Amino acid sequence: MAEYSKMARGSFISSGSAQVINLPFVPDYVEFFNFTLANTNATSQNVVSGKWQYPMGQGTAVIEGYNATPTLIYDAVSSGGISTFTAGQMLQYGPVYKHNSVASADFSITAANPAVVTTATVHGLKSGDVVIFEGLFQTSTTGLPQMNGIPFTVTVTSTTSFSVPWDASGSNYTAFNSATSTGNIGSWKQVLYPYLYFPGTTFISAITAPNGTTIPNGSILVDTTDAHNFVPGQEVAFRIPSQWGPVELNSLPNIPTPGSPIYGYVDSVTDYNSVLVRTPFAAAFTAFNANQTVASVPGLSYPQIVAVGDVNTGGVQISAGSALYPPPYFVPIGTTRFNTINGPAIQGSFVNNTSQGFIIGSGAGRVLTTANMVGVSTNVIYWRAMLHDLGLPF
Amino acid sequence: MEDLILRDYIVSAASQINAGGGSNGFNPTNLGLTDFSLVATTLDTNNAYKFMSGIEGMDRFGTGPIRSSYFMLSSTELQSDFDALVGQGVLNNWNYPTNASALPSEWGSVYNIRILTSSEAPVARNAVQNNAGTFNDVYYNTVVGKQAITHINQDGFSMNLIYRDPYYSGMLAQNATLAVKFAQAQALTQDTAIRNLLSTRLSNLGV
Repeated sequence: MAEYSKMARGSFISSGSAQVINLPFVPDYVEFFNFTLANTNATSQNVVSGKWQYPMGQGTAVIEGYNATPTLIYDAVSSGGISTFTAGQMLQYGPVYKHNSVASADFSITAANPAVVTTATVHGLKSGDVVIFEGLFQTSTTGLPQMNGIPFTVTVTSTTSFSVPWDASGSNYTAFNSATSTGNIGSWKQVLYPYLYFPGTTFISAITAPNGTTIPNGSILVDTTDAHNFVPGQEVAFRIPSQWGPVELNSLPNIPTPGSPIYGYVDSVTDYNSVLVRTPFAAAFTAFNANQTVASVPGLSYPQIVAVGDVNTGGVQISAGSALYPPPYFVPIGTTRFNTINGPAIQGSFVNNTSQGFIIGSGAGRVLTTANMVGVSTNVIYWRAMLHDLGLPF
Repeated sequence: MEDLILRDYIVSAASQINAGGGSNGFNPTNLGLTDFSLVATTLDTNNAYKFMSGIEGMDRFGTGPIRSSYFMLSSTELQSDFDALVGQGVLNNWNYPTNASALPSEWGSVYNIRILTSSEAPVARNAVQNNAGTFNDVYYNTVVGKQAITHINQDGFSMNLIYRDPYYSGMLAQNATLAVKFAQAQALTQDTAIRNLLSTRLSNLGV
């Protein structure tokens, strides 16, 4: 009965947050144990192991942990347990949180830099998730509709608030859904699979240079609205509509040689949404202007930085202790790299990141109400996942 | 399956222009004639190669000459929007002087673009909301020059359909396998020769 069954094992060092494990299959059984806590004196709320089977339902688990005595007990996790995932297709979204639909879906956004979203109920996002906004009209002529349709990486600041990397402090922006306003129209939703293919086209939130808007043989700092996933050496092009300012960076038109596109390349990566681009072709550029008017929104195109070329120009450095053939990685937030399931490949070219696997969540138990299933930072956790040939009754 | 992967890849990798020539008030707007003109001009300026030669005019009622053209890959759901533009420079393929060169999925032509439609074209459902609170779908209309993209079957390995019937597998012949596998990749060979022209829809969606 092992003709099709699949098994995998592995380990990770917990960050204290839900851990995504990419696998070449979707398991129907997962178990794990926290080696660090098992090797520690019995302490209330410590979870030392857990199990999950597909029929139990997504996000559940049976765990073993210490109660207040402390005695080792069994407990059940009803949410934030173990779940599986299989990446689908682009342009798929989570539930729509729409203002004025139900009170629990309500939200507001500040006209600030960065713009901060506050939700009426727990938003359920984690830092690194990607959302898009729709509407955001304070009245028919004011609000934040300039932010519509742009994918934004969220930085979670509380269970009911998060910020997005956009400067909405300009005079043409008005806070959405302030207490005294009427006629607000807007919604937001999560982009479920933002990085199935990368690097690709990314929207720009700001462009600056170390020396104002001049580029004396140097690089410019490009900030993006979600993860760019570029690597040093990556060749890039700019597509900046004129109302946003620095059209001098565009790959076309090439003034001296019309029709011949000019590209920059990535000098260094600052973090997930900031990248230094060497631009030998422009000595100066017009200041970036994010302060677009509400009236300009119908038909407004957004500034983009685009990965160029079918031939990779970057690479993954091999250092002491690293894998000899490291897989391509993506960086959804900060500087933490997440490997794709791809085998040996060259970083920098387009990567297919369609993935599947399971997630060990950070849920608590019914009795162990303040426990964290995935442990705390630096805990070493070993896991095993299986996909069985046969399940009875299903 | 391979088509869907390539479709998603293009959505991710090709740069975007929002339609602004329509009148429905969304961002992007529905497709207007100026949008077709603008994106074709952009590709021309970028030295993209056209796919199709023009068709010379003939003395036939209701027909008109066709320019040499790029292809635009659109959703079948936009066909009623295209129909609404007929007579304003948009020609259905039955109004070509001869439709011998028209592809089976070809809806028609406008300026330097010939429009191909598919029910599997990329669309983001309810992705924009206007100031009246109404949602609209966003369509990714990919306008493409000849040298823009390529599809690579690695090691000459194209898609395989795998089927093992119950006779060969599992206890009591209960299990069978049906799957596809392929080793392939996509690449933009020239990023300046492809644009995703994003638009919303003017007409109601038929069901």
